[in-house]
Amino acid sequence: MKIETIHSYLVNPDKGVKDPKKIRGTSVKDEGDLFTMLALIFNNAPHECQYEIAFQHDSQGDQHNFCKDLIVKYSNTGNFQDGLKIAEHLQNQTTKRSGLGLLFLILGNEGKKKRIVISRFPADNGILAEESISSLNITFVEKIFMKNAKAYKSACYEGKYFETDFWTGRAIDKQINSDLTISDYWIKDFLKSDFATTGERGTKRLATALRDTINKQSTLLVIKEELTAALKLAKGLDGQVVSASSFLSRLGVSIESKEAVRAEMKQSLFDEQFKIVFNEMDKLIAFKTVELDNGAFLSAQATLFDGVFNKVKFEGELIKYTTQGKILTERVRKTK
Amino acid sequence: MTLLEKYTKRYSQALIILSKKLEDDLSENLHGLVHIDRIYSRPKSTDRFILKASKKDEKGNIKYSDPINQIQDQIGARVIVFYTSDIPSVQNQLLKYYTAIEEKLKIPDSIKEFDYEGKHFIFLIPSDIIPESIDKELVPKFFELQIKTLYQHAFSEASHDLAYKPNVVLTHEQKRKVAFTSAQSWGADQIFSELVKELLN
Repeated sequence: MKIETIHSYLVNPDKGVKDPKKIRGTSVKDEGDLFTMLALIFNNAPHECQYEIAFQHDSQGDQHNFCKDLIVKYSNTGNFQDGLKIAEHLQNQTTKRSGLGLLFLILGNEGKKKRIVISRFPADNGILAEESISSLNITFVEKIFMKNAKAYKSACYEGKYFETDFWTGRAIDKQINSDLTISDYWIKDFLKSDFATTGERGTKRLATALRDTINKQSTLLVIKEELTAALKLAKGLDGQVVSASSFLSRLGVSIESKEAVRAEMKQSLFDEQFKIVFNEMDKLIAFKTVELDNGAFLSAQATLFDGVFNKVKFEGELIKYTTQGKILTERVRKTK
Repeated sequence: MTLLEKYTKRYSQALIILSKKLEDDLSENLHGLVHIDRIYSRPKSTDRFILKASKKDEKGNIKYSDPINQIQDQIGARVIVFYTSDIPSVQNQLLKYYTAIEEKLKIPDSIKEFDYEGKHFIFLIPSDIIPESIDKELVPKFFELQIKTLYQHAFSEASHDLAYKPNVVLTHEQKRKVAFTSAQSWGADQIFSELVKELLN
């Protein structure tokens, strides 16, 4: 995709400030090291921005989103003044905690299709070391803007018909799981967006894949045991932003188990991000049942199973389960 | 390719399949809620799409410059509930699983007017229900969903082809008749709402 224009603006932390500072900006020339670096960001954005996000409607429920309107307008014109409005909106949402930042708006196209990448580089301090033939000069430098691995933020929108296509986009916020206040700043406050996949839907999709993997007859017993054991730890991830892939990695399951779950899902959704809602998971995989070849069925809440049944390896493949408690009820059923 | 050809292709190769998938998805996500009479989803027919695409605004200009991308109810879904008091629980459940870009309570502008009533949403089509075999270019981004009571549904279905017939201007008497049926539906919902409060709560 060919880059059309790049604008950059220095954005101060002026949220709630009566007289916000006037924003200075500039165009970036389509040559040199800076352009090369920004072109790399532009080309990698669809992959690097791993969260699929959607603009939210306004407080009246209407199909209107202030930030989307600004982005659509700038994408249509590529005009410095329209970009400045995006920078002003960001400045109005930026607290001192988020600090000074350098905003880049990179616009490109391929035929009728356009892409806009919005990236914010946080300011940092640094030391400049300049070596000469006989000496070394070191200087303290303020306002260094880096693609900081811990604080870098970006968003990317792509499509032919901006009004429709730009309702969804992709974003990356390296702080999303470390500090929710700061991460709200980029996706909720500035982009006025949320994850395109709701927590309940994402969790249900993951829980269904886990359940189907565990219940599948052909799944190896070792994988079934590993996944049910991992479920006990899932409650600890409630409210965290995960994908099916990162969820399994964070629970420390083996590659084999991860691949077994992946096979039960639509491939394109394995890496999609959402916020875990544990109650939703609990609804779908609440009970674990073990069937033995002697006709016995042992059932308990999935997260409690290993605690209420004591499992001892006996001889060969034989397993002995023991449990104790008061009988509350007994049931008979027509079938398994 | 003409607009008719474009939409016919979309209709036959994507919308029919997606509507069915969406209906199943809605049924699964609303499972367990009481007083739901019916859940259905259907693609907008080619005739109705072309008719809508040719609509003009108040100034006489064509309303949609790019109908394929602008018309958002190419798939329309409806959840029909018994009573008005059932609407909030259905709404809350829907918002857990679907991302809305619009949510409105549609009511007539004036008490003297008749119109459809009901809760209306424009949701993103969830990626889960899009089969990988469908050409992504044929998949619309949104679908429309309405939650209606049985009476709101009955009025909107029965009156749609009469009161919104193209190129026909209703007489004063005909307008009053349609307004009467609208008011009757609204009244029945109000009475049922009171009965629910008295008998079910």
